[in-house]
Amino acid sequence: MTLLSANPLAALAPNLPPLKSIDFKPPKGDRVVLDNGLVVYLMKDNTLPVVHMTAFIHTGKMNDPVEKIGLGDLAAGLLKDGGTEKYKSDEIDKKLEFLAASVESSIGNEEARVDMTALKKDLDEVLDIYAQVLMKPAFEAEKVKIKRDETLEMISRRNDDPGRAAMREAVRRFYGADHPYGWRPETGTVNASTIDDMKAYHANYYRPNNTIIAAAGDFASNEEMIAKLKEKFGGWPKGEVQFPVIPPVRIEGKRQVFHIEKDIAQAFIVMLQKGVKRLDPIEYPLTVTNEMLGGGISSRLGSEIRSRRGLAYTVYSYFAKKPDYGYIVGYVGTKPETYSQALSEMLKQFELIKTEQAPADEVVRARDSIVNSFVFKFPTPFELISERAAYEYYGYAPDYLDNYVENIAKTDPAAVLETAKKMFKPEDAMIFVIGSSKKFDKPLSDFGPVTELKEED
Amino acid sequence: MKSLALIPALLLCCAPLYAAGEGKDSLPPGASIEKDPKYPPVVSYTLKNGLKLLILEKTFVPTVSFTMMFKVGNVDSPQSKTGLAHLFEHMAFKGTKTINSSGYEKEKLALAKVETAAQALIAAETAATPDAKKVEELRAIFNEAEKEADKLIVKDEYWKLYNTLGESGMNAMTSTDYTGYVVSLASNRLEAWMVIESDRFKNAVLREFYKERSVVMEERRMSESDPNRVMWETLFSNAFSAHPYQNPTIGWMDDIKRLTRTDAEKFFAQNYVPNNATLAIVGDVRAAEVIKLAEKYFGGWQNRPLPGRDYTKEPAQKSEKKIDVFFKAKPALRIGFHNPGKDNPDIYALIMVSEVLSNGKTGRFYKDLVEGKQMALYASSYYSTPGNRYPSLFVVSAAPKAPHTLDALDAAVMEEIDRLKTEPPTQWELDKIINNYEADMIKQLESNSGLGMNLAHNQQVLGDWKYDWNTGVELRKVRPEDVSKAAAKYLTRDNRTAVFLREPAGK
Repeated sequence: MTLLSANPLAALAPNLPPLKSIDFKPPKGDRVVLDNGLVVYLMKDNTLPVVHMTAFIHTGKMNDPVEKIGLGDLAAGLLKDGGTEKYKSDEIDKKLEFLAASVESSIGNEEARVDMTALKKDLDEVLDIYAQVLMKPAFEAEKVKIKRDETLEMISRRNDDPGRAAMREAVRRFYGADHPYGWRPETGTVNASTIDDMKAYHANYYRPNNTIIAAAGDFASNEEMIAKLKEKFGGWPKGEVQFPVIPPVRIEGKRQVFHIEKDIAQAFIVMLQKGVKRLDPIEYPLTVTNEMLGGGISSRLGSEIRSRRGLAYTVYSYFAKKPDYGYIVGYVGTKPETYSQALSEMLKQFELIKTEQAPADEVVRARDSIVNSFVFKFPTPFELISERAAYEYYGYAPDYLDNYVENIAKTDPAAVLETAKKMFKPEDAMIFVIGSSKKFDKPLSDFGPVTELKEED
Repeated sequence: MKSLALIPALLLCCAPLYAAGEGKDSLPPGASIEKDPKYPPVVSYTLKNGLKLLILEKTFVPTVSFTMMFKVGNVDSPQSKTGLAHLFEHMAFKGTKTINSSGYEKEKLALAKVETAAQALIAAETAATPDAKKVEELRAIFNEAEKEADKLIVKDEYWKLYNTLGESGMNAMTSTDYTGYVVSLASNRLEAWMVIESDRFKNAVLREFYKERSVVMEERRMSESDPNRVMWETLFSNAFSAHPYQNPTIGWMDDIKRLTRTDAEKFFAQNYVPNNATLAIVGDVRAAEVIKLAEKYFGGWQNRPLPGRDYTKEPAQKSEKKIDVFFKAKPALRIGFHNPGKDNPDIYALIMVSEVLSNGKTGRFYKDLVEGKQMALYASSYYSTPGNRYPSLFVVSAAPKAPHTLDALDAAVMEEIDRLKTEPPTQWELDKIINNYEADMIKQLESNSGLGMNLAHNQQVLGDWKYDWNTGVELRKVRPEDVSKAAAKYLTRDNRTAVFLREPAGK
């Protein structure tokens, strides 16, 4: 697309050359569906003798059974580490590491992934391991024990980093500890997940008709690569996948303050508000609005809390999309002696952007910053093709990426104001703080009813 | 600092990673293109003022990544002014005489008043017995001066220019050894970048200095809240007794509190000179055009001899140091052994020691400590931390898995290291490491920004952009017995500092 952009640069710095538009149409790549339903995205790229591949498997931590939270993570993490029917785990490690190849599996809240990187010369050998890992994991008992122990150890260490703990616990309180968007594994639920559970989990979700593969790299032709994939995955049987019902999100919707006492040098503050469902087109004006509010150092939060007042090093806002209501987050780390100044300013900025229409040049700049950096979504052929696969995975229209810039560019000051009015209710925001209250400059109760929590809760 | 973060080395076969040869014949005199197929076809050129350019044409998307690398890091912060290199890096985003300013002539006077007031305030604050009333009076004067100066600022204009240009990855990083400034843009912004950045490094104005100093204090407090960073800081400050590698790059809080804009301006004038910099440009650009524009915009940047850099050599460590750090977090371990530095040929065997121990799941630490004995949550090593300009530390990081204790894990780590002293690696172990090194050398060519950083760093800090390729050649020469010998020579008790992160009793 040709990205047209207003040109405030001339006004700012007369010695700058005129700003040209960026001509870039992201290549489409090929999309093929195998007979068993496996969707494959491909892009040949012969610049380096490397092949990358990733598989998106439709599941996620939110699909765990409530009494076995952590099951998906164990199963995903053990696909390779637990060996396969054909290859013992130790054999896989030795082979892959000697070839400087990698096969790694993981799971997030809403997606499971299996990634592969191989030098071209080793592609057949590595691809065979990759296919076995996806289709026929063995979950060797000894490796399951190691992975389970590691998971339990990580649970006991999850509060070591207070910044991360604040974000996790805030989201957990926001959705409720028993809602899949908010929950976390516990010792009991991890111990309750058996090898048989992992096998059943794999048999249910890891099916070709529930998987999208994206591959890019040094293959002779897309046809040749498809032939290889057919050979490896053609015999992978389809299956009917059972998905659990995720209960609808219920958000309290009135101001609550949560606090964990901890004697540390900064207070970590997370502010959460109800967000958007993934495919809601409000994401376009909201993206621009967020860019203005907390998208970077020159955003309102960055400018007012960090650069003008020196209250924080880290301060930002963003919004997380989910199938049901996502969340809008404001985050700041600040010394406890000034925490109330930083928090008040953050609340004020959320309020200001919904009450006063922003100047046009600020909106244009936010838009330009998104539009003119769009090309960086695709720094390499592999990133481009996995991006396309990801958008299909998350249910976006096939032309989502191709129309993205145009949709962002429509946002004007009125749209920003309207969006902010609709989305931001700082007076109802949930506030979560980890920090040393003895040093706070004002009591937390100034911000709303406080619930004291323990780190161990 | 995991795996072979080192890098590149294999033959670059295949199709056009790089732009076709057109235009290369038209390179100006003094420019040369690398022709040996072992290396990417980097174009090198040095301006008369000493600024070195490294240019690599890559064309998949119409973007370009810039890295401006200065050989100035925290080691070069003057004594009792630790953190100055890092604070200056923050200030380099605050504009120039024409950017972020509504009129520099007036602003200059206002800034001078701020500085006078700030120095008086700092003197009062840091007096042996501070007079609270006087401090408050001086603070009021300072606040007033700052307010006046702020009226003349165009807020965040530098950032806003880059927002409009559509920057990606705009950032900077300071280490013990260097300071680097990076950004990626659409490639038709090449000249805009030249205009802004040449102004940035020729005409920087350090406005809003004392606010940014507060931002850095918050950055330091963030580190103090993170047990991982606390452990590293404790390791370096204890392992080094004289060399500036003992100082945290962010600075000691007491030093940060006393840094002034005058300090930063002096530091800038001395160190931010073209003869102390390399500019790497990787992406969809033509080398001849880059050189032409660099001559136009950076040619007038005045060079100057660099200040002396004779830092105290670290004396040999005579006996083991063990330090307990009490922190509300689960136990973990950091160990450092002094290494001989990059110019000592033993360094290659030490790189292999590190890789034999911790390269992947077939590495000895993982196989024996995480799997075998199942004592460790993780255990890894790296041959040179926190820097490379001077002899540094070979480091080990590990954490025990309950119910195993920190001390038992420490013993097991040392046992594993001792075993390497007597049991040389197998040929398989060494071949695996070389294979990974070579594959990493290829993969690093995928990312414009990563490659730019590597080229600029290796040229400016280590003296040769081909450093990693040459290291690969040396690594292949290392024999199994060399690895054992290096472990026996450097990974000794007397040469060791160990930091134990422990939970405070009763919590």
